[in-house]
Amino acid sequence: MTAVIETEGLGKRYRKLWALAGCTLSIPAGHVVGLVGPNGAGKSTLLNLATGMLAPTTGTIEVLGNRPAAGPAQLARVGYLAQDAPLYAGLSVADHLRLGAHLNPGWDAELARRRIERLGLDPKQKAGTLSGGQRAQLALTLAVAKRPELLILDEPVASLDPLARREFLQDLMEAVAEQEVSVVLSSHLISDLERACDYVIVLVDSRVRVAGPVDELLATHHLLSGPRRDPGSLPGGLQVISASHTDVQTTLLVRTSGPVFDPAWAVSEVGLEDLVLAYMKQAARPVPGNNHRRLEVQK
Amino acid sequence: MIWLTWRQFRAQAITAAAALAAFAIVLAAAEPSLSGVYHSSGFASCHGAACTGLASTFINDLSSGGGIAGVPETPYMILYFLSVVVILIAPAIIGIFWGAPLIARELEAGTFRLTWNQSITRTRWLAVKLALIGVAAMAVTESFSLIQAWWAAPIGKAVGLGGGASIFSETRFGVFVFPTHGITPLGYAVCGFALGVTAGLLVRRAVPAMAITLAIFAAAQFITPLVRPNLFPTSQTVTTIAAAGANVSLNANPRLAFTATTVPGHPGAWIISSEGVNATGQPVSSVPAACEPLVPQTNVTHIGRGPTTSAPGPNALNNCVASHGIRVAESYQPASHYWPLQLSETGMYLALALALAGFCFWRLNRRRS
Repeated sequence: MTAVIETEGLGKRYRKLWALAGCTLSIPAGHVVGLVGPNGAGKSTLLNLATGMLAPTTGTIEVLGNRPAAGPAQLARVGYLAQDAPLYAGLSVADHLRLGAHLNPGWDAELARRRIERLGLDPKQKAGTLSGGQRAQLALTLAVAKRPELLILDEPVASLDPLARREFLQDLMEAVAEQEVSVVLSSHLISDLERACDYVIVLVDSRVRVAGPVDELLATHHLLSGPRRDPGSLPGGLQVISASHTDVQTTLLVRTSGPVFDPAWAVSEVGLEDLVLAYMKQAARPVPGNNHRRLEVQK
Repeated sequence: MIWLTWRQFRAQAITAAAALAAFAIVLAAAEPSLSGVYHSSGFASCHGAACTGLASTFINDLSSGGGIAGVPETPYMILYFLSVVVILIAPAIIGIFWGAPLIARELEAGTFRLTWNQSITRTRWLAVKLALIGVAAMAVTESFSLIQAWWAAPIGKAVGLGGGASIFSETRFGVFVFPTHGITPLGYAVCGFALGVTAGLLVRRAVPAMAITLAIFAAAQFITPLVRPNLFPTSQTVTTIAAAGANVSLNANPRLAFTATTVPGHPGAWIISSEGVNATGQPVSSVPAACEPLVPQTNVTHIGRGPTTSAPGPNALNNCVASHGIRVAESYQPASHYWPLQLSETGMYLALALALAGFCFWRLNRRRS
């Protein structure tokens, strides 16, 4: 399995503030990868570094085996849908497609035309008058029709209403199914990921807390509940991700490779949302020696 | 990329073309009447020495014969003035409206994230934009200049023969005429544009970048006339007061000064400075004691070669100072230095524009978004 994005000790500093520090991760190819984390985790910074919109302060990053934005060939291999789907307000839908056609040697005009038709966009309409959902879909059309090997989407649905969000993700899935393209998509809304992604990376404070295929994560995590007791008395091979206690009961989220055989515990399945939240909550506990300050990526 | 550059630049290009057309139409409409004065004054068909006098007649006719009573300046003066001002400010306008928003708008609107993620490097993106719009900037400004030069050709000819007066008194070395004619508008245009682009890239906001562009460019245009005389080595000569066409002028400090108007043997020379020197070549700054009685009591300064009204007048004083061996040392650029000076000034601004463009490329590739 090759990596689409591979970083090693990657850091980005804005003056004195580290937006991303010491980030080491590897994102495999052939997946729709959800990059999830709280605001300020460094998701946008990471994706901006991956597209070469930012240059790293420390560490290295390789995208499809090359330096990001190293040249026209590398740029052609990566499609990027930036946060808030920037478009030229004064240019029409058709103008944007012409822009794509003129600036991308691998442009798939037929695909772009079909998409615009199916989305019901008027080619003569100015991009400035499109709705948020339409803007996102036009921007996605531009990113997809250049036929990239890797599609990077930075919070693509954050500013959309729930209906537009669902339509966009649906549309994205169809586009991905048509082409063989790896996707990395960031979001802080886990429900979005559940619908779209088959691989999840939880990023908190520049650190990968958990990463893996969604099926595998769901299969290896269990919710245990039983009479209140000390988590230390659990059988071996169980890793406790989170624990909550009431007066009489203890609920644990555990990770294990095998099944849990302990009659004292009631074992149940865990949803992706609970799983991700547990890892984020785990990370929220103060880590000694980590006093970097974070900030959201600047626009 | 050429298509995108054109698509984004289209509105500005149309505006510029309209401005250029309006400028050409106004001057072309005024040309027949200017030509009429040119012919009726006799200056158009003059020969030899008669031309100097007829040049003055022509300029006087232009200045006074507009035929509109109660208007202080004639239409020709207004047109001449405005047409020169248009050429003078065109590079600043280009810097403000073409240059400053070029990158700043993309940064403000976030659209750089769209364009810089197409299969094209930032270097190429900027190179195409700078080249195409830079050439357009030069073409537009030079067109203004050529149209004006065509229209004002008789005026330029008359001024060159010494017939200049009032607003039409600037030779082609003049502070307003030199930077608006020849090839200097090319340098100013491309530099104004590059300055705007650089300001936009650094400030990242279009409107402040526009203000900064205007301020810096205005300062550059103010400073340039001060360095212009030294852009090419000056020539020196020492000649008599009469040959220099000078008058003694009496200032507070130095008391004795001269304003030379001609350089013997160098018609059309640009006189940069003139001062009194004695027989050994030392500067003289005071009126010889013997000539003091001839100094007029009321008027402190005498400039120009007007007829003497009452003795003791300027001529008597001139003659007295001259008889004490005082001559005029002139520093000047001969007429033949016009094009070398034009080339130097244009080259200076082109080099500045290239340096700014180079900085933009470097900054764009090094940058943080």
